[in-house]
Amino acid sequence: MNDVRPTICVVDDDASVREALGNLLESVGFDAQLFSSTEQFRRASNLDGPSCLLLDIRLPGANGLDFQESLQKAGISIPIIFITAHGNVPMASRALRAGAVEFLMKPFQKNELLGAIRQALERDRVQRTENAELIAIQSRFNQLTSRESEVLELVVSGLTNKEIASHLAISEVTTKMHRGQVMRKMNAASLADLVRMSDKVKAYSRKEKAQ
Amino acid sequence: MPALHTSSIAGAAPVPEKEGQNNSVRVRPLGGAGSYSIAIRYGTATLFSIAALFASLGIQHLFAFPYPFLFLFFGAVMVSAWIGGMGAGLLCVVLSTVFVDYFFVPPFYSWQVSATAETYFVSFVICALVASWISSAKKRSEQALQQTRDELEIKVSERTTALMQTQAELSRLSRALSMDELTASIAHEINQPLTAMVANGHACLEWLSAKPANLEKARQSTQSIIQNGTRAADVLARIRALFRKEPPAKQLLDLNHLIEELVDFLRHEAATRRISIRTDLARSLPWIKVDLVQLQQVLLNLIINAMDSMSDPKVPSKEIVIRSRKNGPDQVLVAVEDCGVGIKPEIAGKIFDPFFTTKSQGIGMGLSISRSIIESHKGRLWASANPCGGAIFEFTLPIGSQDSDE
Repeated sequence: MNDVRPTICVVDDDASVREALGNLLESVGFDAQLFSSTEQFRRASNLDGPSCLLLDIRLPGANGLDFQESLQKAGISIPIIFITAHGNVPMASRALRAGAVEFLMKPFQKNELLGAIRQALERDRVQRTENAELIAIQSRFNQLTSRESEVLELVVSGLTNKEIASHLAISEVTTKMHRGQVMRKMNAASLADLVRMSDKVKAYSRKEKAQ
Repeated sequence: MPALHTSSIAGAAPVPEKEGQNNSVRVRPLGGAGSYSIAIRYGTATLFSIAALFASLGIQHLFAFPYPFLFLFFGAVMVSAWIGGMGAGLLCVVLSTVFVDYFFVPPFYSWQVSATAETYFVSFVICALVASWISSAKKRSEQALQQTRDELEIKVSERTTALMQTQAELSRLSRALSMDELTASIAHEINQPLTAMVANGHACLEWLSAKPANLEKARQSTQSIIQNGTRAADVLARIRALFRKEPPAKQLLDLNHLIEELVDFLRHEAATRRISIRTDLARSLPWIKVDLVQLQQVLLNLIINAMDSMSDPKVPSKEIVIRSRKNGPDQVLVAVEDCGVGIKPEIAGKIFDPFFTTKSQGIGMGLSISRSIIESHKGRLWASANPCGGAIFEFTLPIGSQDSDE
């Protein structure tokens, strides 16, 4: 995963700025994808590898800040660095509150940009790792039989085998067997591990519902 | 009489655009029915007296009095005097007297007047004269009233137009003064090429320090820097051209009038801030050749500054004094004095600098722009301390119409 070159997307309607940023990013070893509008970015983005977005605020058609919002609504969580020639405090605070990594005033120095990009890529990496883990847990979770997932629910809620058995009206031996299956299928090293996985899946589905 | 009211303006709603066209037609000269020619006026008087004669002859057999019915002649006299004025009224009196003497006063069909009829005849003449006088006097006063109304209405419409003009100019001015938009767009236009230059510069260094150096990419980066530098310069040239597009339109004008107009305009604003504005303007100040809008901008800046400086409730006197006077043989001087917070000595040297401001909401361009306007008119603008604690801003402007701009 580390050998994939990160892709930096640049959305700026000014061709000379766009190309200059592309040049700079290329010179320090990034892959740069340049877009003149948010629609172009939307149509073209199939970003599997690590990536982040350099987004101008004043754009034809759409405002960068509104675009940030619409990406979030669509569940696209690419980290955003705003670049603007005429920013102000309310703009910056809105952008950062909505989760932007950085708010850079044009013209900016290389180190400011690269620092922000590094931070954005780190955030992207964490997000991707978490997502991958979540997907793995979810797929293991899907392998459980309905009885096993019932047992899982009760185990993580802190009940003993005896209590689970009486709750489900099955024998304690059968309960133990189901529990062993759950631990094996979920690849859980301990009860604590199982609880953590269960929490993650629940937290994720809560978030999904909220959106 | 009701017919005459149709030309009255009492019912006419003031419609500013239309007023302008009608002004010249509306005002009739005082002192008689000047709108009718002499022939018509006296001709009508003659016609009316003849009509009265025939009518009286026609109906005299209906009256059994010893003396005939002569009241129709009074009607003719009054109408003639109303339409044609005193002169026509008198003509009608004379004709009526002649007709009455000949046809109705015994002995009939002769110019003589019998002794018994003398009193009757004389009183007829006197009554006719009085009727003529009353009628024409009434007409005159009616016309005077009408004219006063017309004049008043013209004044109102002139004043409205002037105010609307001032308002339009002020809003244009305030648009020009709301530099926020302007600076934002200038910043954007300049920052774009600068951003590209900085990014390309960094990229160029990266390409050069790569192992091995990528000279082709470095060369392209440098070229891009040059292009963007040129672009930034173009933007500046465009902005300068924008400001130079309208050369100041100088016109000869009465400075005092301009001051009074502006003070009138600001009266309401001043009142809401509980500030009074007093003017002390020199009489017969020579007219000066200036750009009206620019000078309004300067005065407006100075007066608004003075008002702002007195917003502190602790300020003892809330009065702004605006003075004008001749300053030497070839200059006029205008002073705006306030008793506000004044100018602290440590900032006195900076107040005319661009972007220097003591106001929380200010952008610091007012005085800087004002000074450059006055200097472009070959005058001077400066500030000094007012003994009451406030500030005095004064500017001079040269008298004379030397057209030596640009």
